[in-house]
Amino acid sequence: MHRVEHVMGFPVSLRIDDEHVPAGLADAVFAWLREVDERFSPFKDDSEVSRLDRGEIALGEVSADLAEVLDLCEQYRLATGGAFDARLPGRGLDPCAVVKGWSVQRAAELLTAAGVRRYCMNAGGDVVVAGGPWRVGVRHPDHADRVCTVLELDHGAVATSALYERGEHIVDGRTGRPATGLISVTVVAPTLTEADTAATAAFAMGAEGVAWAAGRAGCEVYAVDAGRRVRRTAGLPRAA
Amino acid sequence: MKRALPVLVLTVAGLIPVWRYTPSDGTATTEAAQPATPPSAAPSATSTTGSPDTSAQSVVAGSTVTTEKGDVQVEVTFQGGAITAVRMLKQPNHPQTTAAVPTLIEETLEAQSADIDTVSGATITSEGYKESLQAAIDAKGA
Repeated sequence: MHRVEHVMGFPVSLRIDDEHVPAGLADAVFAWLREVDERFSPFKDDSEVSRLDRGEIALGEVSADLAEVLDLCEQYRLATGGAFDARLPGRGLDPCAVVKGWSVQRAAELLTAAGVRRYCMNAGGDVVVAGGPWRVGVRHPDHADRVCTVLELDHGAVATSALYERGEHIVDGRTGRPATGLISVTVVAPTLTEADTAATAAFAMGAEGVAWAAGRAGCEVYAVDAGRRVRRTAGLPRAA
Repeated sequence: MKRALPVLVLTVAGLIPVWRYTPSDGTATTEAAQPATPPSAAPSATSTTGSPDTSAQSVVAGSTVTTEKGDVQVEVTFQGGAITAVRMLKQPNHPQTTAAVPTLIEETLEAQSADIDTVSGATITSEGYKESLQAAIDAKGA
């Protein structure tokens, strides 16, 4: 089966190659992602994130899921020396960078728990796969219809942060300015929670973020810097 | 025992780069044995030492060395005058201890057209999707 729906403002493509797909499973996956959008979007006034930000609920009263997300935000803020920060000065609480990867990883775990063996899920450019081999292209930063490298994964996740899609929207929390050292950075990791957040955090750090992400356990990195030079880890799982 | 002291200090200092540059092969490796060794100001031998017999084995814990990343302490096993084994007794709780920064490879940026199952890219909006490679892949597979 192959299904595409638009959730959280981006397309989510779910492909399952197993012959037998449990009834209602794909519905449950998309329902979960819509639920996450309702609960964690800072753009929805009645989301839990917005209510926390307005002080209508206390930090000790948040759901276990939001507590987990906020804990992840704090871990990455500390690990990046503040470059990655869900609470930028002058802005509301915005845990989107963690929520996306975390929620799609949860969706993937729903599939695995239901016995699905071979799937490929792409949520707005974030990829999580199982039962490979899967060939995952990395979009070329200058050409939307080309790739700059092809990865081959049996299972795991790939996420990319880049300038091209939404402009300079990732801010380096240490300076408060848009991050500009990198054009594009792709992280391969065992989970999408790690791949997506590490890619965003590395992008926020700029050029030094490449070595930072490369030093994280289980992460492989492919980055294009402002001078259009590629730097990658030796262990990057490139397709033959 | 006293004669061993300067040798040990040098040994511990020399081992710090080894700890720093533990090569990463993509899998996280941590020291399996990390006994809660109390910080010892002076090296302490746990087996036969001070013997002129060159075949004697001695296990010596080095003193704790403070680095900018935290405290490092190693345990060195000597066979006579030669080091036969080194074990980390104490290492900083720092990301580099589980995965040291690997060497990065530099390449030129290429534009390819390739047969792929899916595309990773920066968060693509629903508006931008129509023009994307992923939309073409989805259309083909639908």
